[in-house]
Amino acid sequence: MAQATQTGTPVIELRHVDKHYGQLHVLKDINLSVKKGEVVVIIGPSGSGKSTLCRTINRLETIDSGEILIDGQPLPKEGRKLAELRAQVGMVFQQFNLFAHKTILDNVTIGPREVLKKSKAEAEQEAMQLLKRVGVDSQASKVPAQLSGGQQQRVAIARSLAMHPKAMLFDEPTSALDPEMIGEVLAVMTELASEGMTMVIVTHEMNFAKRVADRIIFMDAGAILEENTPEEFFTNPATQRARDFLESIQAH
Amino acid sequence: MSISELLSQFGDKYLLALITTYKLTICSFGLALIIGVIITVMRISPITPLKVVADLYVQIFRNIPGASLLIVLVYALPYLNIVLSYYTCVLTATTLIPSAFCSEYLMSGMNTISPGQIEASRSLGMTFMQTIRNVVLPQAIRSSVLPLTNLMVSTMLTTAIASQVPLNPMELTGIVSYINTHAVGGITAFVISAFLYCGTAVIIGQVGNLIDRKVRILR
Repeated sequence: MAQATQTGTPVIELRHVDKHYGQLHVLKDINLSVKKGEVVVIIGPSGSGKSTLCRTINRLETIDSGEILIDGQPLPKEGRKLAELRAQVGMVFQQFNLFAHKTILDNVTIGPREVLKKSKAEAEQEAMQLLKRVGVDSQASKVPAQLSGGQQQRVAIARSLAMHPKAMLFDEPTSALDPEMIGEVLAVMTELASEGMTMVIVTHEMNFAKRVADRIIFMDAGAILEENTPEEFFTNPATQRARDFLESIQAH
Repeated sequence: MSISELLSQFGDKYLLALITTYKLTICSFGLALIIGVIITVMRISPITPLKVVADLYVQIFRNIPGASLLIVLVYALPYLNIVLSYYTCVLTATTLIPSAFCSEYLMSGMNTISPGQIEASRSLGMTFMQTIRNVVLPQAIRSSVLPLTNLMVSTMLTTAIASQVPLNPMELTGIVSYINTHAVGGITAFVISAFLYCGTAVIIGQVGNLIDRKVRILR
């Protein structure tokens, strides 16, 4: 990851991004740049705008002003161009969001078949490899409701990986999981990070953040308050707000 | 006349009428499904004029009685120099009305799909139509099997409006008026048709239940 930080164009770049929900200013002049292979973890109290920030990167949320670039290309506003760019950025959701009517295998092959126009055989072969990698290949012919939350989330990761994304966004991927299933999902993510995947992760798992993050972004009330290495941030936070936050989550 | 007398004298006509009712029902219902799907896609499309037209379509045909629509088709369209056969008029009426209901059922079927699945589909890079085809419609249809079964029964019952025009061959309600003008069938003539309607509805209901159990989406 150290060598990757030197390379040219950032994979994800946000410049002066602002967003309001009515009166509420949910994103305040956000500037963020994620280089190839970098793992950026966004933390902060609920309502601080971290999920919204994550979702603006593939335009599941629109922005009021500013600019978002993927691999140097501005994010298109709508239509086929936007779809093409979205295909290059993987997204993993808090609620997994697997397609309920499709088998696990079909959930993973649908993107490559529909969007990348791969043949059924090719897509299925690769899907099985990915499912094996995340440890749910034995469930391939089941439907999502038959799987545990942890298994579903790992399938969701495989579904994103099948698109060979340039970067992956994780929007609180373990927040809807039973405690004993969090570990299996984090393990897959840790492996991805070590393989050099560019990742933006919104999470409340502080130990995981310490372990995998190249950089921690701390948000509060729609603004980025701190941007630092995990060592610095967790041992010596610069702002009082971050100190309070860290204290409150360490209290229990 | 007793039922056995009626059947021996008009049995073949009843059979022909039953077949006509079936034909009308299957054609209308099939077309209503296709139109219903198209209208529904228009209603959820991001293009406002399409939405408005489709919403208007549903409002009109959901709220017009079948008999009135048939009268319009038979007696008003000729003023516009559009003359359709009686069969086409009946088929049109019994298609347009169920198609509006079909769209309503599909819309409520869509409510069973979590918005997250749509977001997941979009974030995979699927276009609007790809999302509709792969994620939205299959789930909407599979969760609407029971209401659509009811729709098929009500479509069949709506085909009775064909008795208001001289259809040849007649359907199950038309045959009753025919018999009662040519012989004294009385209420018994009705009973036979009612039995056939009822029996068919029961079969449709059973098949619908079977399909529903087979395609129901596990959640």
